[in-house]
Amino acid sequence: MLGFHLRRLAAALPLLLLSSAALVHAQDDETVEWLGDYKQALAEAKRTGKPLFVEYRCEP
Amino acid sequence: MEGREFDAQVVLSPKKSPRGQLLSQYVCVRITRMDDVDIALFERDWNNTLYFFMMNADERIYMRWGGRDARGPEAYLNLDSLEVALAQGLELHRIDKAGGLPEFTRPKPRFPREIPPLVERTFARRQCVECHLIGDFDLVHKEEQTGNTDRIANMYRWPDIRTLGMELDVPKGLMVKESKGAVQTAGMRAGDRIASLEGTPVYTFADLQHRLDKVQRSAKQVQIGIERGAAKQTLTVALPERWWLTDLRFRQLSVDPRAEFDCRPLTAEEKTRLELPADGFAGEVTRIGGFAEMLRMHELKPGDIVTAVDGVVRDEVANTPDLFIKLRRNAGDTVMLDVIRGGKKMKMEAKTQRMYFRK
Repeated sequence: MLGFHLRRLAAALPLLLLSSAALVHAQDDETVEWLGDYKQALAEAKRTGKPLFVEYRCEP
Repeated sequence: MEGREFDAQVVLSPKKSPRGQLLSQYVCVRITRMDDVDIALFERDWNNTLYFFMMNADERIYMRWGGRDARGPEAYLNLDSLEVALAQGLELHRIDKAGGLPEFTRPKPRFPREIPPLVERTFARRQCVECHLIGDFDLVHKEEQTGNTDRIANMYRWPDIRTLGMELDVPKGLMVKESKGAVQTAGMRAGDRIASLEGTPVYTFADLQHRLDKVQRSAKQVQIGIERGAAKQTLTVALPERWWLTDLRFRQLSVDPRAEFDCRPLTAEEKTRLELPADGFAGEVTRIGGFAEMLRMHELKPGDIVTAVDGVVRDEVANTPDLFIKLRRNAGDTVMLDVIRGGKKMKMEAKTQRMYFRK
């Protein structure tokens, strides 16, 4: 059990160290795609017929 | 889960994971600058650094996700709960495309640049428009416009659902884990799923909290729709006194005047023993604020009993002397407290303070 938690922690550690901007750049082909522009996202949702998932992330 | 880790887990969701498969059916957008956000459309508890919306391309919001209470910012951050909501959002979108949702009215757009004190304190100084500052300065602006006539609604935003007795099984969305107090009396049970508040459908904790915030603070009851298995019913919940009262310490910038002490209400037995009126707001000091000594505001100590403020012992709303001061006195006022310390009665002056950014 402890090993499981340590592996999870080790996996999450690089994510925790990422800044907000770097987080989006950390994405790759294996991860979900995110846009950074609201108007662009609206246009994309109109084009594809998909709903939007909007995240507001405020970093003090 | 802490906000930064939660954010990373969501943004870096593997496409092949269950969460990633749900997210891939959305256009996902992550916004980190609040400067140009429509704060009317995306109204929310601004004391959250992380908040999500599911919506369509016409800016119809299906649901909100996120929210917090006084326990901490992570109280409702749960990946399983998010997955439940993502699936519900897709279902609502399907219904919407089939014309199955009622008409909606988009709120008139409003932007942070329309809040003058926010412009002065952030935009003009090229500082970051932090989320909590939107809420704080919007409140300041509202007070300036209205004379702060409704302090309860202005100061005590985003009531805590637990005050009504609802404890959620967070990973399962709006599934009730424990029912106590007002909602239990109304018939809510563990295992029920909350479906609406005052006739408005709710799908997430954030929806529920957002709708509860719209209830008049003077309201005596609310209608809560629940699902119990396949059965649906509406419960009439009698709101407890001061159902809107929350711990403001994590919203400290919204508190004005600042009294820099907290009290707990005395019990009926304690009031009888001290020969105090049963309906009075006497309270025992439980905490002294950090600025009290530094700014020489008062000399109260934990354990002191405050029995009156400026000779007033009861109030139609306040049940403690510190709440009375917050609701009935203005920042900068000096008040005279009646205090019992170690069985000895005394008078004590207390100054209140204005938040630094309101000066």
